[in-house]
Amino acid sequence: MLRISWLAIVMAGGLWAQKDSAFFETKIRPVLASQCFACHAAKLKAPMGGLVLDTKAGLAAGGVNGAVVVAGKPGESRLLTALRYTDPHLQMPPAGKLAEVVVKDFEAWIAAGAVDPRTDPAGGEKSSALKGMAVEEGRRWWAFQPIAVGAAPAVKNRTWARGKIDEFVLAKLEAAGFAPSGAADKRTLVRRAYLNLVGFKPTYEEVEAFAADASPEAWPKLIDKLQALPQYGERWGRHWMDVARYGEDNSTAEATNQPYPYAWRYRDWIIEAMNRDVPYDRFVKLQLAADLMPDAARGDLRALGYLGAAPVYHKDQRLSADVIGGFLADDWDERIDAVTRGLLGMTVACARCHDHKFDPIPTKDYYGLAGVFASTARTERPLFDVEPAVEARYLWVQRRLIDLRYSANLLTGEASTVVGSEQRVAKWKAEIEVLKEEMLGLQARYPQLVKSLERYWTPPAPRGDGQRRRGGTASTEPFANAVYDAAQYVDGSDAHYTFLVYQPGESRDVPVFRNGNVATPGEMVPRRFLSVLTRGESRFGKGSGRLELAERIFSDGAALAARVIVNRVWGWHFGRPLVATASDFGVQGEAPTHPELLTHLAAEFVAHGWSLRWLNREIMLSAAYRQASRPRPEMMKADPTNALVWRMAPRRMDIESYRDSLLRVTGRLDHTMYGPSVDVEAPENLRRTVYGRVSRNRLSPLLKNYDFPDPMQSSGGRDLTTTSLQQLFVLNSPFLQDAAAAVAKAIEGVPTEGRRIRELYRRLLSRDPDAAEMALAGRFLAGGTLEQYAQVLLSTNEEILWP
Amino acid sequence: MALARRELIQAAFGLLGNLGISSAMGHYAGQRTPGKAKRVISLFLAGGPSQVDLFDPKPLLVKYQGQRPGGVDLRTERQTGGLMPSAFSFSKRGRNGVDVSDILPKLGGVIDEISVIRSMYSFNPTHTPASSLYHTGTILANRPSIGSWISYGLGAENQNLPSFVALNSAGPAARSAFLPAEHQGMPLNVADGEPEKMIPNLRNKKLEAGAQRRQLDAVQALNRRFGESFGGDDYLNGRIASMEAAYRMQFEATDAFDVRKETAETRALYGETPFGNGCLLARRLVERGVRFVNVGSGDWDDHKDIEAAYKKKIPAMDQAAAALLTDLKRRGMLEETIVVWGGEFGRTPVSESGTGRDHNPYGFTMWVAGGGFRGGIAHGATDEFGFKAVENRVSIHDLHATMLWALGLEHTQLTYRYAGRDFRLTDVFGSVVRGILA
Repeated sequence: MLRISWLAIVMAGGLWAQKDSAFFETKIRPVLASQCFACHAAKLKAPMGGLVLDTKAGLAAGGVNGAVVVAGKPGESRLLTALRYTDPHLQMPPAGKLAEVVVKDFEAWIAAGAVDPRTDPAGGEKSSALKGMAVEEGRRWWAFQPIAVGAAPAVKNRTWARGKIDEFVLAKLEAAGFAPSGAADKRTLVRRAYLNLVGFKPTYEEVEAFAADASPEAWPKLIDKLQALPQYGERWGRHWMDVARYGEDNSTAEATNQPYPYAWRYRDWIIEAMNRDVPYDRFVKLQLAADLMPDAARGDLRALGYLGAAPVYHKDQRLSADVIGGFLADDWDERIDAVTRGLLGMTVACARCHDHKFDPIPTKDYYGLAGVFASTARTERPLFDVEPAVEARYLWVQRRLIDLRYSANLLTGEASTVVGSEQRVAKWKAEIEVLKEEMLGLQARYPQLVKSLERYWTPPAPRGDGQRRRGGTASTEPFANAVYDAAQYVDGSDAHYTFLVYQPGESRDVPVFRNGNVATPGEMVPRRFLSVLTRGESRFGKGSGRLELAERIFSDGAALAARVIVNRVWGWHFGRPLVATASDFGVQGEAPTHPELLTHLAAEFVAHGWSLRWLNREIMLSAAYRQASRPRPEMMKADPTNALVWRMAPRRMDIESYRDSLLRVTGRLDHTMYGPSVDVEAPENLRRTVYGRVSRNRLSPLLKNYDFPDPMQSSGGRDLTTTSLQQLFVLNSPFLQDAAAAVAKAIEGVPTEGRRIRELYRRLLSRDPDAAEMALAGRFLAGGTLEQYAQVLLSTNEEILWP
Repeated sequence: MALARRELIQAAFGLLGNLGISSAMGHYAGQRTPGKAKRVISLFLAGGPSQVDLFDPKPLLVKYQGQRPGGVDLRTERQTGGLMPSAFSFSKRGRNGVDVSDILPKLGGVIDEISVIRSMYSFNPTHTPASSLYHTGTILANRPSIGSWISYGLGAENQNLPSFVALNSAGPAARSAFLPAEHQGMPLNVADGEPEKMIPNLRNKKLEAGAQRRQLDAVQALNRRFGESFGGDDYLNGRIASMEAAYRMQFEATDAFDVRKETAETRALYGETPFGNGCLLARRLVERGVRFVNVGSGDWDDHKDIEAAYKKKIPAMDQAAAALLTDLKRRGMLEETIVVWGGEFGRTPVSESGTGRDHNPYGFTMWVAGGGFRGGIAHGATDEFGFKAVENRVSIHDLHATMLWALGLEHTQLTYRYAGRDFRLTDVFGSVVRGILA
């Protein structure tokens, strides 16, 4: 049903033979030189479209889309199409159409055989169009190799290592002539462990309890204790939400991309899953395909928020089928990018317009995955049991009602905007009535289903009102933003109004869109997995192929998937992942600093049942993790980015740990778990930051200023910048002032000033002040208040540092 | 870009190179063009102003009034009728006699500073994607805006102020997307007037400056002690510096963002309207070293009654935009400041509902002034009815490429490695429009 507008085939007429090379030299070459070489020259690193026109070989080879000149056939020569400006998507030169007489010269030249008398210098025959790695060659790329528990390398220092991780780390350090740092003191360690596992600082009592436990089991016991707290899931769930580009609305809040009222249920599911230590492979499969997994619980449908609350673009249905089709393809592209970078560390979205320029990813691989998402539709699914046939029908009706209501509202009162609006609106309203009657038949058995649809058949609100749910209108009705299998098409049969069509239970393949342009479809590609990872047949045959995709990631792609998540987890512990570009394991990414360690740890991770909790513990038990974080001048010169893990990298806390810690140390943190999100900047909101609203449209400035990742796309790791705007928050925000006031009030009854200062230090920095600090505080308090000094301590570097 | 890449890795993990003071450095490592401009003020008329009523006279609209001759059947967002002549007459202005609508007397008076580009074209007839294209070079909602790119490329001139400010602008105008957060546009609503209301947490509502300084001294004393005991970490030192910068910003920004400190003559020059205040504030900010200021202006989406609407709102826009050029020039700042004016698209020469005009991405007018651009010229042309750009066509990417060129940046070399590739403001498009550069 996709309306296809093929390249216009324009026949050339009135030709005159011209085989003389002089014609090329006088009519063609000067035009190429003045109009084309700037972007299409062999000397350029990346000539546009992979097309080189300043050599004979380049002109003959064509660009990423193949030949541009077919000798004797002007109608089939894309070069001429481009010059003619008849195809809106293929127009050259970009600054404007050349004179008609010039276009005619090119037509005549091609018709006469496209004589190119140039002789290229030696070596110039090779097309310099940038080509990625071949799939066969790609199979040998390091990231795709099988994983196995590795033999530990030999090390000289035989006392430092506590386990295999340390032997791998130490071997690299020794090979470079360096030594690791000594162990951090216990008070630093406990602080590190709390921040890392539960996302806030320990209290003075918690610090001292750990410091007082001299047993060798104290450290593993602390890890176990923290992992058993429900706050563990909040902390590690938020890490995953960065990768899953969790958000509760869209970049705009228009009729076809309204906020997701149930996104928060997806967040809750993530937190629960982290706390239950759901094996990572199953954790991911549920997010991709819980609805297709026979052993998934109804509540696991919430996991589908990964796809069901994904960013989408508004589609004004008055636009043409090609424009709407382009938006739809952008939606698929978003999923492909999130899945392949997020789960596999592969930049498959780079292969949308051409084969990947560096990695072994043919553009057909991209469209093989696009078909999966073209067969997967967003929906609001009931969390209660519904007879499957009824549910399937309900999901379709829900979608249809959304589109009909949107369309009827759009054209009501704006009768002039589309030809025949009134007739269309009448037709749509009639269809709404029919569907309403049908759905009312479910009232007795499924009143909640009927209730969920009522808003679509209530009298039409004026455009722009009523139907729109702005950010912050989360719902607690028993539904989830999820997906189901339905093929999506663009219905362009009405020239003035474009509908999206959903075929439930059906699936579809997608053709290669040349140059990524839906108006120029090419060869149809069956839904399938990535070639370079595939062993044997990779076509998907069951429905959309979502479950097969998820299964392939953890069968054929298991080694890579394990490496990618182990690498991320390493980064969430050490600050720097072993592959610094955590979402790009390709040629353009950074090479791993410790490839053998990554392989070994990935293998152990899989052997331990893909348990993230095991992985946390294994890493934290290492001597590498327990190192001090102090800078060593010689090492700061030799390895400033800590690539060799010669210390624990000190760093600024992320915004969640910072805000949650400030609330906790001032005794105000509300530990209530789960439920609809709350405005993170509302003064009365004292809940953990993970429950703060994440808007793709209007992200909280506080979150933004502290490098919260853009929820429009899967994050490969956060920047941790230090900016003046952050410091204005520290200096002047009501949040900091309230925190200071709260703690000052809590201790104002403490009898002596000395004990008040000590109490302030214990509460805010979880330690006792030394004599000099007592004196500094005393001097300040001689002319200032306890509340002001509380803010002083809250503003210090020590307060925000991950030690 | 090897250096930038290393900085990126360091920045990503909060180690070196990303201190509070690092924003002073530009990250552009490419070839410098001869462009000498340093700053940009972008006047964005959201909704799309009408070219045939302002800068692109089309006498044939009168002859073919109400008709739809060949070539005007381009599909736009809505259903349109026959050709509708402009209600406004045009006069030749400036030394070269550039045609300007008589409803723009003041911009006509400074036309010798302006390159009118009559051959702009875009790709999408809907506001959101077209605005995104205008600001970020793509209809996708996940790419950085031109202001963020320029901030990233050139760095901040004044460390006490943000390098990119977005006044009365929404969505993509301030977006930094994957560029580091310090390059996002600081979004401000000029209508709030007082700087303390415009900028959250700008001033301390509890403490006088002296008491706050004393508090800050106590913080820094503790920070220095902590730094010494920790071992002189660059990151910790950077935090101390950024705290001082924030302290200074309180006072500098309070001054910089306050248009009430201008003389009565200057305020009258711009007009005390929302757009006038926005333009004046933009000048104050670039004067103090802010790299990029976007000034958004309300509703230019005139689907009906365009004549009445223009008579009502054009004078304030005309006055403010012209005043900005006049003021920048008399302060000697125009040579180094690019001023760009336009909307996400133009409007149709055919009518909508008989009195309005629909969206038109096929051809529209923008203008550029100062910053090394030529003045007193009209570049390119639309067809005989003003519907589609036909001569010396200029895309948004071309304009972006040209603006970067004027700032000394080669648009193909201002890149940022993200998600496996080097992203550019101009993606894989854009060529510098030499004809409008001096």
